[in-house]
Amino acid sequence: MIQNILLAIRSLIARPLRTLLTTFGIVLGVAVILSINITNRSTLAAITRLFSESSGRTNLVVTNADLTLGGFDEGILYRISSVAGVDAAVPLIQSQTLLADDSQRNEFNVSFFGIVPGGLLVYGIDPAKDTLVRDYKLEAGTFLTEDPNEFHIVLVREFAEENNLQLGKSVTIRTPAGSARLKIIGLISREGPGQLNNGAFGVVPLDTAQKIFERPNELDQVDILAAEENRSPQELDALKASLQDRIGVQYSVIFPATQGKRVSQMVSGYQTGLNIFSIIAIFAGAFLIYNAFSMTVIERTREIGMLRTLGMTRWQVMKQILLEAVTLSIAGSAIGIGLGILLARGLIRVTEVFLAQDVSDVAIPASALISSAGIGMIVTLLATIIPAWQAGRISPLEALRIRGNSDDTIAIQRGLRIGTAFMLGSLIVIFLLPIPEPFGSRVNNMAVLGMMFGGALLIPASVGLWERLTRASVRRMYGREGQLGSRNIERSRWRTALTVAALMIGVAMILSIRAVTIAFDRDIRSWIDVYIGGDLFVFSSIPMRNDLQAKLAAVPGVDAVTPIRYLDIKRVKPDGETEPLALTAVDPASYSQVTSFAFTDSVGDPADFLAQLAGGDTIFVSSVLAEKYGLKQGDTLTLKTRRGERKFKIAAIVVDYYNRGMVVQGSWRDLKRYFQVNDASAYLVQVESDADETAVQQQIDKLYGKRRNLTIQSNQTLKSSALNLIGQTSSLFDVLAFIAMIVASLGVVNTMTMNVLERTRELGMLRSLGMTRWQMTKMILAEALLIGVIGGGLGLLFGLFQSRVVISTVNSTAGYDLTYIIPTQGIIVSLVIALFVSQLAAILPAARAARLRIIEAIQFE
Amino acid sequence: MPILEAKALRKIFKLGEHTVHALAGVDFAIEKGEFVALMGRSGSGKSTLLHLIGGLDRPTDGEVTLAGMQLSLLDDDKVTLVRRRNIGFIFQFFNLLPTLSTEENVALPLTIDGKDLNAYQEQITTLLRHVGLEERRRHKPDQLSGGEQQRVAIARALVTQPSIVLADEPTGNLDSKNSTAIMELLRRSCDELQQTIIVVTHDPRAAAYADRAVFLRDGLIAKELRFKKSMKVDERLSTILKTMENIPEQS
Ligand SMILES: Nc1ncnc2c1ncn2[C@@H]1O[C@H](COP(=O)(O)OP(=O)(O)O)[C@@H](O)[C@H]1O
Ligand SMILES: [Mg+2]
Repeated sequence: MIQNILLAIRSLIARPLRTLLTTFGIVLGVAVILSINITNRSTLAAITRLFSESSGRTNLVVTNADLTLGGFDEGILYRISSVAGVDAAVPLIQSQTLLADDSQRNEFNVSFFGIVPGGLLVYGIDPAKDTLVRDYKLEAGTFLTEDPNEFHIVLVREFAEENNLQLGKSVTIRTPAGSARLKIIGLISREGPGQLNNGAFGVVPLDTAQKIFERPNELDQVDILAAEENRSPQELDALKASLQDRIGVQYSVIFPATQGKRVSQMVSGYQTGLNIFSIIAIFAGAFLIYNAFSMTVIERTREIGMLRTLGMTRWQVMKQILLEAVTLSIAGSAIGIGLGILLARGLIRVTEVFLAQDVSDVAIPASALISSAGIGMIVTLLATIIPAWQAGRISPLEALRIRGNSDDTIAIQRGLRIGTAFMLGSLIVIFLLPIPEPFGSRVNNMAVLGMMFGGALLIPASVGLWERLTRASVRRMYGREGQLGSRNIERSRWRTALTVAALMIGVAMILSIRAVTIAFDRDIRSWIDVYIGGDLFVFSSIPMRNDLQAKLAAVPGVDAVTPIRYLDIKRVKPDGETEPLALTAVDPASYSQVTSFAFTDSVGDPADFLAQLAGGDTIFVSSVLAEKYGLKQGDTLTLKTRRGERKFKIAAIVVDYYNRGMVVQGSWRDLKRYFQVNDASAYLVQVESDADETAVQQQIDKLYGKRRNLTIQSNQTLKSSALNLIGQTSSLFDVLAFIAMIVASLGVVNTMTMNVLERTRELGMLRSLGMTRWQMTKMILAEALLIGVIGGGLGLLFGLFQSRVVISTVNSTAGYDLTYIIPTQGIIVSLVIALFVSQLAAILPAARAARLRIIEAIQFE
Repeated sequence: MPILEAKALRKIFKLGEHTVHALAGVDFAIEKGEFVALMGRSGSGKSTLLHLIGGLDRPTDGEVTLAGMQLSLLDDDKVTLVRRRNIGFIFQFFNLLPTLSTEENVALPLTIDGKDLNAYQEQITTLLRHVGLEERRRHKPDQLSGGEQQRVAIARALVTQPSIVLADEPTGNLDSKNSTAIMELLRRSCDELQQTIIVVTHDPRAAAYADRAVFLRDGLIAKELRFKKSMKVDERLSTILKTMENIPEQS
């Protein structure tokens, strides 16, 4: 046995390039599987930890039914406590603020959830009760005392260190009245609630919070700890119902887990994407391994034949090949694990960008290591079985001759039948079977994969057709000798099919990724265009009082200023159910000076629409909503307001992708009247045409930046940072597509080399008939070109299908409303790459063919 | 003026420590329209001589002049062109392209030369008739017998009307009936088409179709026989057999 292993190692070393290629296949598979496994675990762990630990042992949460209306009176606390089954009712008030000194930039991040404020999140808590539901892990100092009036704060240690805040010293934070000084009496670790807001988090006594944030007697949330005997799911349901009954419909009683639901839904979409890449990596790896081993067997035909004449049995031959595979898979898996851990780091960083949420690496579970290495070995063995079996089939006599092209027609016919069945089945599933979500898009994705599989099976039967279709152009490019080459494609059809399939997958991947990227890009661009009009965008982490409008307008160089308020509201559907919507409140008069709405499907004069909006009890609805519910101009929509349900007339339909298009626009007046909100989320500033935008930006910053905690961004910067985000995430997928193309090109190298090796004598004959080296090169390049054409063509076909399905999957699972745009650029790029790759990859084999020594070639027998 | 002339040809192969003198100084010439058989035991240097004459390999020493061109003065591409236009090769394994039909295989040298095949249709038809494969023009090689495949290869060698046709053991892979047919075909090609032909063979019955038999031994010409036109094949065969007995075993 040991001797056999040594023999295997020797034969691997003897063909370093091939060995490297095979190892690359194994490493690729193992590394991708492992890194995606780690990333998925880490992400999931981070998200669940955040939402479970930060809500701790809370069984139920009471919030204002209309979240944006903010707080409610703390008197409710007693009513809640009096409900049977409630062990403790824990009050909470929260506020987003900033450190008063310059040390903390007033930042905000653009993420897939929209614009998220940075700054410091402060919880006002009842120290006595809060620890019943949340675990603060004290690292230094003491926790808040029972006295709810002390001006104390407990901060997360990392945050304190980053901002040079010391235990025992005081910290000044921004408040509506200006600022408040609090003494840092304790530091907690970044665990449990300490993870909130990426660790920029602190707790202060409840009364203090109410005082400094000017919200006397208000609460944002009450966390409920159910009595021991009431914690079973049924009991909790009952408790939830009786609570809701007791406190009335203006409050929501929810399970804490539902907070994280939307996030985990998004994450699961992202993870599905990653998992698909896992599968592709396995296929790509298996393909490389198969290819490399087939080549080894062809190359060693004579050697194996000789061993067979010396009395080696078929099984012994197979065993030897399989032993080489096992040896390699051990080495490859080891490298793959190392690389996988590194790759996971990168993937986790991308995930963080994607979610705007820190994801700490989890300890790498042994099971993940074992399973990825196991998959690596199993795939290697499976991919080697066919070549090993072929090696075993080599008869002693056959080995002394060159093998012909024994492509059996039966297999090709069978491929044709099964392939057609797969294609038809997939088409029926995609177009004729309406499968309800959430399964629909998954099934459709599977159907597209089935279609590609079917397409790959059809390749052997269809290469002749492709050859005829391209004959004229191949001839124009590579002449008659090129034609001779492209006809050779009809010879090792299965081998060709495999390579074509690899190219096809690569091209399809590029296309789908392009399609998704441009759809996202357009979506983001469009809503940004509406979301941020004007030249400058003025934004703050703390609410901005409305006197700012006049102040900003007075800054030299400012032409006009308009306030915007984004509000989460609810729409009442005809059946009485409610549905969350976003309201964008604008001041029609100033709004039209700064920016404009993009009206669509609306009859009338835009100025009149704005006048109607200003008149009140009127809204605009987004085209997405209009389409979804068949709303037209003149219809009414019922919204839940502070003054009950109100009907609003739809004055116009506008293009607005904010909140994935689930948005209506209302007037500032209605905002005050019906929602009692009088602060702005942002101001849009129009700079005078002859003023310097940067100078105005700096001037505003100088005047109000620090005093009012404003961030002033130019529209351009904001747009580019949003687009940058898209770029960052799509670059990860671009890398994967790039890997797929590399794998495919290695496949072309392998296939063409095998063809050259197998046809050595024939190539020698052509040279003796007077074919020059260059003609021979052209012949090989033409054959590879045809592989590129078929791979590109099929990849294009399936890629267009796939990208459509991927977009509808993203839409249905992540709640986006992306429109499908044919990725023209992607089509051109992927086709060019397919052709280019096929040519580049064929250079080596072509050179090998051209260098053949004629007499050796014709004596090759 | 011979159509082909080889002077003091030497070919040395180095195999590690060993050096093999495959050709140890051969002078050889052939006139237009002549049919020569190269004979000798296995390893005597027949194939090596054919390869040097056909420009498939370069001699260690000496010179080959074909149709007035000194091959040693030409680079690979030029030699390739000489092969393409002036030499026709026939191999033991017929070496047809499996993807091409009979007709296309025959036309292959013209295809490689970038010729317009339409202009050659008549000539190809005549050639196919000459080798008796008119009915098989659309068949692929795997639908043809060994003898038929070799006849396609002969037609392919003749299609450019080369200065010389070189055949290395053309009957080596065929039974005696097919061998006879092939040699008769080559004979006819010489007689009817005035083709100059060199056939390497170790089979005396095959050599009996030639006008001249050249015997190689240890890389040197050991003996030459010239036959009168009037001499019958059987007579030639017995002369050859007699000569072979007189040539001593390899030293
Ligand atoms: N490529 C080569 N490398 C080494 N030795 C060779 C090579 N080709 C031929 N020989 C040697 O040269 C001698 C003549 O070979 P060859 O011309 O093929 O003989 P024949 O065709 O008469 O059987 C033999 O001893 C053979 O082993
Ligand atoms: Mg020989």
